[in-house]
Amino acid sequence: MGFSVDAPGGRLDILKDISLDLNGGETLAIVGASGSGKTTLLGLLAGLDRPTSGDIRLIGAELKSLDENARARLRKRHVGFVFQSFHLLPSLTALENVMLALEIAGFDKPRERALGALDQVGLSHRLEHYPRQLSGGEQQRVAIARAFAGEPEILFADEPTGNLDQRTGESVADLLFELNERHGTALVLVTHDMRLARRCGRVEEIEDGRLVGRRNGAVAGASSA
Amino acid sequence: MNATTLSLKLLTRQSRSGALIMLFAGLVVATAALAAVSLFTDRVGRALERQAGEVLAADLVVTGRERLPDEYLDKASELGLETAEIALLSTVLFVGEESHLVDLKAVTEGYPLRGQLKLADRLGAPEEALAGIPEPGTGWMAARGLRLFETDTGVQVDIGRRPVTIERVLAWEPDRGGSRFMLAPRLIIHMDDLLASELLGPGSRVRWRLLVAGSESGVAEFRRWVEPRLEERQDIETVAEAEADTGRALEQARRFLGVAALTAVILAAAAVLLAALRFSRSQRDLVALLKAFGAEGRQILLALTLLLLWLALAAIAVGGLLGFGAQAIIGQILADGPAGELPPARLLPLLGSGSFTLLLAAGFALPPLVALRGVAPMRILNRSLDTRPGLAGGLWLLPILGALTIPVLQLGNLRLAMIVLGGSAVLAALLALAAWLAMGLSRQLSKRTRADWRFGLAGLHRRRGQGIIQITALGLGLMALLLLMIVRTELLDQWRGSLPADTADHFVVNIQPDQTEGVREALIEAGAQNVQVRPMATVNLIEVNGEPPPDHRWAGQVNVSWIDRLPPANRVVEGEFFAPDATGEISLAKRWSERTGVGLGDTMLFEAGSRRFEATVTSMREVEWESFNVNFFILLTPSAGEALPHQFIASFRLPEEAGPLRAVQQGWPNVSIIDIGALLDRIGEIIDRVSRAAQVVFFFTLVAGLVVLLAALEATRDERRQEAALIRALGADDAMVRRGLLIEYGAMAFIAAVLATGGAALTGWLLARELFEFAYQPSGLLLVTGFLASFVLVIGSGWLGNRSVLRTSPIRILRAGG
Repeated sequence: MGFSVDAPGGRLDILKDISLDLNGGETLAIVGASGSGKTTLLGLLAGLDRPTSGDIRLIGAELKSLDENARARLRKRHVGFVFQSFHLLPSLTALENVMLALEIAGFDKPRERALGALDQVGLSHRLEHYPRQLSGGEQQRVAIARAFAGEPEILFADEPTGNLDQRTGESVADLLFELNERHGTALVLVTHDMRLARRCGRVEEIEDGRLVGRRNGAVAGASSA
Repeated sequence: MNATTLSLKLLTRQSRSGALIMLFAGLVVATAALAAVSLFTDRVGRALERQAGEVLAADLVVTGRERLPDEYLDKASELGLETAEIALLSTVLFVGEESHLVDLKAVTEGYPLRGQLKLADRLGAPEEALAGIPEPGTGWMAARGLRLFETDTGVQVDIGRRPVTIERVLAWEPDRGGSRFMLAPRLIIHMDDLLASELLGPGSRVRWRLLVAGSESGVAEFRRWVEPRLEERQDIETVAEAEADTGRALEQARRFLGVAALTAVILAAAAVLLAALRFSRSQRDLVALLKAFGAEGRQILLALTLLLLWLALAAIAVGGLLGFGAQAIIGQILADGPAGELPPARLLPLLGSGSFTLLLAAGFALPPLVALRGVAPMRILNRSLDTRPGLAGGLWLLPILGALTIPVLQLGNLRLAMIVLGGSAVLAALLALAAWLAMGLSRQLSKRTRADWRFGLAGLHRRRGQGIIQITALGLGLMALLLLMIVRTELLDQWRGSLPADTADHFVVNIQPDQTEGVREALIEAGAQNVQVRPMATVNLIEVNGEPPPDHRWAGQVNVSWIDRLPPANRVVEGEFFAPDATGEISLAKRWSERTGVGLGDTMLFEAGSRRFEATVTSMREVEWESFNVNFFILLTPSAGEALPHQFIASFRLPEEAGPLRAVQQGWPNVSIIDIGALLDRIGEIIDRVSRAAQVVFFFTLVAGLVVLLAALEATRDERRQEAALIRALGADDAMVRRGLLIEYGAMAFIAAVLATGGAALTGWLLARELFEFAYQPSGLLLVTGFLASFVLVIGSGWLGNRSVLRTSPIRILRAGG
């Protein structure tokens, strides 16, 4: 799979010859320097955009043949997201933020599900708070509740601890992996933080748009060429 | 790079920035509204200047209720002055069965002494200036009159018993008086025809004017000679006095349009401020970078000021052009015919509106830009290290000062400016409060709705500060336009419809005592209903409670009547109405009493000829003036009244199916028939025209409101795109993003439309109650149309301003730092 854009100086290849597969329940960290293309790769894997060459098969669907709305339908049922800057809607309460994702996905009883999800992340006492009334760690926990509430098969996390201090970051990461394990969700994580990356079953390193190496995560930590 | 080059680079590089475009649009709208009004008033002003000396058609005029003595004429000729005579009279004219009121003007050889008449051979034919007056037996009629009679030149009309053939169309007369809207069309005839018409019976309501012109010293000499000789009801008019009158009319029109323009300017200023704040925010990174590279604060400040100057100059050019077009439309609407006599517009007033735009830019847009001076260069390393954006303390004074100075400059009247400003502020505050409540309510409702509704309504609520500004701005513009529409289309009609079916619509004045029975019978013969004939005398009020009346405005001549019982449509509110055989008693209308302070128990001394008589106020009456019956402020007892020299006045209603009044007019040529219905039609037409002219100006108010909306949209665009990208990433499809935006804008449009429509209907109702004293009921159709138009306009603009949000790709959510 590859991804390029037209730039003033000609065609710019952002991702080249990427080949990657991930099974259900597996955890994968993508690491790399800034500008290496790891965030673009995450976006493509999640179906936020389409590759310009090759194809991506997500939950059995070939993304290249799907338009934006069809990919949206795929995402709402099978995919969850956690972002570096949380991306909660500031105009909605914690509970409403979680409910919104469930309602978009068309779940029954979104309120009950959302209450359950917020309870799992320990925020039952913060339901009616707006994002601006929550700390960074709490906001990210709301985002995690939102991501898991719909019980997605695969969760994409973009620098989930990037905007948090070390201690809060670790507790958020603990929560993420705990829920991942409990729900049996596959996890794709983009990060700079090698300590976080090593908690994943697999680590892929990306450099200048190419996957250059695979390291074992939690199990070993050795790299292979 | 020097500041000028830097400013030009900043301007050209960012010429497609939304905030810059909105800033420009705000300045353009303000300029256009101002330019339209100042260009138009300049044209009217010059039209009046051009007529200086012509407004009287003479250098000096002696006026009188009776023909002026020959010795005045002789003296003027002796001093080597030119003279001419005019007699003015309102009379009903018949062409076939069709009758209309005309303003008759009979002239003698030499008229006009100053200025020229312009005439055409027939309707639509070219006009030419012509010296001379109509030959006896012929007349020149204004185009409007010929159109009223649905005829053209060559037609014969009867003036009293004198037949006159209309030979030419009167296009222009120099001495039309201050009002650009004469109530009845003009007909000019030869004096001999009037004298032979029998219209000039005793007590007829003719106004006589002796025109005098010549050397300055001769005119001054004549004035010195005639002044001490002036009799009662004679007066002198000079050019300066006549101009003061027309000046007042102009001043009123100018203020009316000025107030309309002012609302546009206030809203445009809000848009300019919003857009400038947004533009300033978007420049912070750039300014930090420039500073980090070594640019000095002073240089940046100068470059930003210059950038604003270029923008303002461009806005002056574009806005001036738009204003030029708008003033042409206003001129066309207000002119009496397609060939309005206004001189062409000139560019000079644009200097004024241009300086004004510069003031607006300096007051409202400069402070946010100047605040960029304080951007910390550390910002390029870390945004959180930047100083808080905003204005340095003292700079806030500029927009506030601007907001206060602008209306004063615009209206040239501190008190009026404060009233307009205060009134708009109160109205805006009410609208804002209503908008705030409505938004709070919508947020509460949204908690019980589906995801797309919650997303849309929560968006509205989240940006409620902006939303309230947008709703208020749009609400004001829409309300002004709807209100004018209500006044134009419904208020006057409903008022006339609210009058009782037998409301008088005609008056006959100047009926002599021996003619009353004959006239009454002839009127009833012609089908007139509710005929009331009442005596009337003119007396001098000499003293109140033994003292001369303190106020000259109501001292002197007053009209009185007498009757033996309380007249219909009158109600006694204080005291008791005098008995039929009472003497020395008087009844006053409440309205007159309030104006003069004369009340129950006061004694009034009157003089009629050589006779004096005294009476005491024993009752006060509330009068239904809108009944159009003959009513008088002062009612005497019959014993006091019948001894006075008097005439009669009749009021009646003439149903549609009634016959013509030709027999009445021809049987008694001295009486004057006044068709109130036609006068009301004419007043309605004038209100219609003025409203339409104001609508042109209020259109700019609406556009200014739309610019506020778009500027606010521009300011929140990034936020909206971010939100749209997020819900897309979460799996929402195009339709849901679109629905969310539609719901947000729909709710805003709904609130603005409800407030504007409701506000206009309420104001119309208040106007009707206070001015016309009837309960106005807005028609459902008008309200629905107004509501739908407002709704579609706001939702449409919101939609257009938000297209880029709809195109946002979900991948953006991973790119933006948040």
